[in-house]
Amino acid sequence: MNAMLMQTKPSTALLVLDAAALTLGTCRFGPFSTSVRAGERIAILGPSGAGKSTLLTLMSGERAAAGGQVQFLGRGLATWSLQDRAHHRAVLPQSSEVAFGLPVELVIGLGRVARAHDPLLDPIVKQAASLARAAHLLGRRFDTLSGGERARVQMARVFAQLWDVNDGLVLVDEPLAALDPGLQFDLLDSLDSYAAQRGHAVVAILHDINHAVLGFDRLWLVADGKLVDDVACSAAAVPALEALYGIALTCMTNAQGDLVITPTRRLARRVAQDAVLA
Amino acid sequence: MNALSLHLRPFLQLDKARPAVLLAAALLVSIAVAVQCGAVPVVGSDWLSVFGQADPSTASAGSYVLWNIRLPRALFAVLVGASMGMAGALTQGLFRNPLADPGLLGVSAGAACAVALTIVVFAGFNWPIPLAWRIWLLPAAAFCGALGVCFALDGVARWVTPGSIAGLLLTGVALNAMAAAIIGLCTYMANDEQLRNLSFWTLGSLAGANWALVAVLSLLLGVAGWRVRQLVRAMNALALGESAAAHVGVNVGHLRRNVIVLVALLAGFSAAWCGMIGFIGLIAPHLVRTWVGSDQRHVVPLSMLVGGLLLLLADTVARTVAIPAEIPVGIFTALLGSPFFLLLLRNARGRIG
Repeated sequence: MNAMLMQTKPSTALLVLDAAALTLGTCRFGPFSTSVRAGERIAILGPSGAGKSTLLTLMSGERAAAGGQVQFLGRGLATWSLQDRAHHRAVLPQSSEVAFGLPVELVIGLGRVARAHDPLLDPIVKQAASLARAAHLLGRRFDTLSGGERARVQMARVFAQLWDVNDGLVLVDEPLAALDPGLQFDLLDSLDSYAAQRGHAVVAILHDINHAVLGFDRLWLVADGKLVDDVACSAAAVPALEALYGIALTCMTNAQGDLVITPTRRLARRVAQDAVLA
Repeated sequence: MNALSLHLRPFLQLDKARPAVLLAAALLVSIAVAVQCGAVPVVGSDWLSVFGQADPSTASAGSYVLWNIRLPRALFAVLVGASMGMAGALTQGLFRNPLADPGLLGVSAGAACAVALTIVVFAGFNWPIPLAWRIWLLPAAAFCGALGVCFALDGVARWVTPGSIAGLLLTGVALNAMAAAIIGLCTYMANDEQLRNLSFWTLGSLAGANWALVAVLSLLLGVAGWRVRQLVRAMNALALGESAAAHVGVNVGHLRRNVIVLVALLAGFSAAWCGMIGFIGLIAPHLVRTWVGSDQRHVVPLSMLVGGLLLLLADTVARTVAIPAEIPVGIFTALLGSPFFLLLLRNARGRIG
């Protein structure tokens, strides 16, 4: 395991998708060809049903690519054991259902279930919970929590999983959807500092363009099961985003110097489709 | 620090040991009470008889009843109940569903069905099986039947009706109906002796208890407990859902197969020796969860203790309430268990679908 960690230099690609494709029912996804470098922060944006989550399941190894290849740390993802994968990448799925009403600290601790010896489990669970703004929920049953509280506990589980690892990969699917605006910014900050301290790369599916602009370096734009654009996160990305969602966007820079993007109106449907195809 | 006790020890921790100690004490008291109850009175000197007098002719009737009938039967009831409690806890964990139970889902019926086929149909083939192997024939058949139903359930419940409590229970209804039909067919075809053997299965009784069965079942429980100790941490992760369990590094397919074989082993063998005794596997884990919470590391061992206690009490009542007659304990547990199940269904309203 340590040997594997040493192979990973910051410049090398952490995860490489090489024409990875998948067919689910009648829907075709991919081929996706792109890569994630260590420590990179990537936001996946796209309309609902575009295939963002499917792209994430390809990257996590939950679904094997039917065509093409997925390489993780220089080795085919399919050849990794589930346990080894769990030591290097954590996944936050969209649904947050837990059966039986387990206690919160157990749910967070389950992030580390693949470790045979884990003497630091207790402190890590506590620290991960406070980083995810869930410290006050320790001791409660998961099924008594609200949607936003569940989201934070699941986030803490993901934090705990790669707490004492460096240069890992964190894949999160709409982590902020159930949270109020204040907590959205809190958790975005937490995710950012968590990943930065450990050199983890973060790939997040987001719905709010401003969250993407605030905390991420690259934007992957997904539409109709294809990766249509891969742009740096800046004002220059706005035309591509307008085309992606079929809406007009207004760009401003606020007093703090942050870029703020506001949707203003819907573009005519045809224009949007033409732009995406072009 | 106490509020957050997540050590790596797979089973009980100190602050969680209190329920286990209480249950073990209750179990010992119940065994002591159970062996006192019955038509023949047992006195203190009968307990000592096994050390002093080896000659059976001088032994009192009380000591014979105590050492050869009541004590093995009480221990057998505890062990069978423990197997059922464990099988129930594992089944509920596997299907992420508090209403799952080997009896309700048709696992016990599958075992009884295989046994019925063995007694009635395969007995006619006159296979040259050595006499020493014959006592293993029915348990082995029951295990195969239980295993078949378990894999069918796992497959059908996941492919046909993924994630649905109602779907899982209805699959169980279908499998139960199929098994009942085959058992009915066997009953129809059976001759008098086979019929007597068969009725034993369908009613469920612990009257066949003896020391050899107690030894075999303890061994079985020991092996199962040892295996579950290794799996139980991963079983908690199963509560996160299959994909999330895989993300945290649990090999879900491997875990499912292991748990299924264990459930078939426990449910199949207990059905092989004492027929269909229902609802213990449903009630025991539920009581434990409302008492100590849902951590599988506590639910599984405590369910064994509660299951053992429940079946011992049920069996003691069943054999003493109408002395000298004996009500089959399966009837008794079903009479008590069905209202309990309805109560659970009522509480699960809204989550079913």
